[in-house]
Amino acid sequence: MDMLQQLQVQTEQVEIIQVRSESTKVRFESNSLKATQVEETSGLAVRVVKDGRMGFAASSDVTATEKLMANALESAAYGDPAPFTFPGLQTPPEVACYDSIIAEFSIPRLVEIGQEIMAYLREVDPEGMVSVDLQRRIERFSLRNHAGADVAEMRTPFSLSFGVDRVKGDDMLMVYDMQGTTLWETDFMAPVRRLAEKFRLAQRIVPLSSARMPVLFSPPGAVVLTYPLMLGLSGKNVVKGISPLAKRAGEEIFDHRITVADDATLSGRFSSAPYDDEGVPHRRTVLIENGVLQGFYYDLKTAARAGVTSTGNGSRSLFGLPDPAPTNLVLNAGETPLSEMLASIKDGVWIEGVLGLGQGNIISGAFSNPLALAFKIENGEIVGRVKNASIAGNIYELLRHVGAISRETEWVYQDFSQPYILLEDMNIIAKG
Amino acid sequence: MHNRILAALERSQADYTEIRLEERESTSVAFRGQELETASSVIDAGGMVRCLCHDGGWGIVTFNNRDNLEEKVAQATQCARAAKSDNPIELAPIPIVEDHITVALTRDFRGISLAEKKALVEGYNRLLLGYSDRIVDTSCRYHDTFSKITFANSEGSFIEEERPMVVLGTVAIARDGDNVQQAHESYSRLAGFEAAQGREALAETTARRAVELLAAESVTGGQYPVILNPDLAGVFIHEAFGHLSEADFIYENPAAREMMVLGRRFGPDFLTVFDDGCTPGLRGTHKYDDEGTPTQRTDLIRNGILVGRLHSRETAAKLGEAPTGNARAVNYRHAPIVRMTNTAIAPGTTSFDDMLKDIELGIYACDAYGGNTELESFSFSSGYAYMIRNGQLAEMVKDVILAGNLFATLQNIDAVGNDFVWRHPGGGCGKGGQAPLPVGMGAPHIRIQNVVIGGK
Repeated sequence: MDMLQQLQVQTEQVEIIQVRSESTKVRFESNSLKATQVEETSGLAVRVVKDGRMGFAASSDVTATEKLMANALESAAYGDPAPFTFPGLQTPPEVACYDSIIAEFSIPRLVEIGQEIMAYLREVDPEGMVSVDLQRRIERFSLRNHAGADVAEMRTPFSLSFGVDRVKGDDMLMVYDMQGTTLWETDFMAPVRRLAEKFRLAQRIVPLSSARMPVLFSPPGAVVLTYPLMLGLSGKNVVKGISPLAKRAGEEIFDHRITVADDATLSGRFSSAPYDDEGVPHRRTVLIENGVLQGFYYDLKTAARAGVTSTGNGSRSLFGLPDPAPTNLVLNAGETPLSEMLASIKDGVWIEGVLGLGQGNIISGAFSNPLALAFKIENGEIVGRVKNASIAGNIYELLRHVGAISRETEWVYQDFSQPYILLEDMNIIAKG
Repeated sequence: MHNRILAALERSQADYTEIRLEERESTSVAFRGQELETASSVIDAGGMVRCLCHDGGWGIVTFNNRDNLEEKVAQATQCARAAKSDNPIELAPIPIVEDHITVALTRDFRGISLAEKKALVEGYNRLLLGYSDRIVDTSCRYHDTFSKITFANSEGSFIEEERPMVVLGTVAIARDGDNVQQAHESYSRLAGFEAAQGREALAETTARRAVELLAAESVTGGQYPVILNPDLAGVFIHEAFGHLSEADFIYENPAAREMMVLGRRFGPDFLTVFDDGCTPGLRGTHKYDDEGTPTQRTDLIRNGILVGRLHSRETAAKLGEAPTGNARAVNYRHAPIVRMTNTAIAPGTTSFDDMLKDIELGIYACDAYGGNTELESFSFSSGYAYMIRNGQLAEMVKDVILAGNLFATLQNIDAVGNDFVWRHPGGGCGKGGQAPLPVGMGAPHIRIQNVVIGGK
């Protein structure tokens, strides 16, 4: 008798997930190849509902099934009431997230790709130190439950991060990027070229004084705005009553040009997959449309608490229970060309990244961060890099009126697709 | 297992081979609001083989299935050969040790029922919820973990070690209309269940602070003299300076090496900073690091002058210095990298009252929400803070985020307190995708002039 059958006899509900993945990684540090790594991962996790109570256990030792089942049952004895039932078999959307090209990448091929990226970035500054990390994974995920769900998925996430550090006297400059995909992109050099361009723009340091001014957030820079929003849109924070957006569905919360959707069905994106981690089919969920709050993202448990259905956002690691999490989060493009946005700024700042993303009381929408990489704009042109400056604000005030949103969008931090966003009047604090 | 490890090492074709096996059992109990989120146990078992070949780089294999170690060694050797580099890796010599480290816990949590653990956490959570009707959400978490780690290398070292850890964390979220504030506290020891008992004060402090923050105004941004309490001073020195003293940041970068040249003045005469992996009872303490190097105290800044840095065997060899026992790995999924253990600002001579009395307008910043560094720039947010007016503590303020440049800020420290304390926070440090690594932090109060505080 397998585990599902054994536990089904003793409980009302059972769910068993199994993960098995293999990964290869190649790491370049300080301009040279440093290490290559092979990773094999396997594990089992069990959820049961017994006498109405939820229990959980997990193990990376797939042979320890007796202990695993005993742990799950003990956990159920002390668990809280389960407000939901596991879903039965449902038809998923077609989602492309497996690519044999990625699956078949050998270590020498990864080394070759890494060398091409490194060679390009070394040209940018002879004093720069280049690092490149490549990882290709084959992920197998299966889920079965008492209700008949029987999911088996295979994905090929590929992640690539690269950066240049340069120390000159006491000035340290770090420029980096992180990309992810599940379908191989032939033009993998495109983000590398963008990074090199940013590095060139950062060569010159220019002074900046504290003032109110227009601020242009680049796609990676705009994460400082979307990160608090991501928390506000979480079904869990809504159910807990701590999201400032709770009970505001249907209200116009932002500028009418802002539309945000979560979409794990996109072809080949890093978090794309047919099902979520609870066996719920993925779908596109519009969270904010033309500035109007449409809803939130949920997993099974928080959806049940809120009296709605799961949006397919159950996310978990082997050793933890699911929580709602965004998959691929898309902030729609606007209508203004970036060149026009830039040209409109007489005196302002272009933000590429901040330090301490997510620190402070961000559930309230508030953020306050030093700028990690930012440029000064004068008369519609980038004139150089600024140092020792910081910004602060609250997204629920700032995004009510935006200056412009760009036509151009980029995928950043693997899971976010974002345009350039212009906020016309922000306080910049600068030192020196 | 002992013989299988030795056999696998024996057959290795690599120039250097190490094997690390881990078996970990953990239990977690977590309440969120009224609800029990989890009361469960997990088993994590796995290992890592790391090899070095003279004509290559590091080859690393990690796995859950520990059946065929010889095959893993062969695979890691292949990986090492594939990592060809014109920048060969050497390892500084360390003593060969055979050791077996066991721990005796006052109350071994492995023998304590899930029911008792749940009751303990439920009690703390009730204190949080019951403090005020403005507490709208809480999180109260207990976590214990017992790891058995076996480390062996081809040089002949063989170390078996037991590592226990208990973590308790509380969060309170208070709400008044649109105003939502949170506070958190945590506590952790490498000890038994007793360390998590009797911590009612932790829960009460958390709840009280969240409610108090509702009445606090946001700080007005600008430059201020700031006194950091020992908690925040500990995070500050860890984030702003500690990471730069990790030798993997400089060992292959001539310009960075020049910037961090030993003998350079970093701060005033009364500033001394050290890392200490061997003082008993602290979170970052172990007898050996994860390469088998004995841990030690390493002075980083002595009387304002840079005198040392933290090493793995690789960085030590490259710089011709001695290993310091700072190669650490968060678990078997990762190769050890240079990390801090317990990092501290040594005590000075100034009393808190003396620091306060000549500040006309300033900020007393307490505890840390988090911190972040990017080389010379750092940022950290305080959990709560007070204005200082005319030498006196005044009203509470919120959203105090300190930012600065390391060099300027260390030079701007103008007082180090006489009230040193080691802290045992429950969080951990993150670097290179490895988190949370348990670290200790220690400091007295310190005063810094001209700190940039972000604000609206």
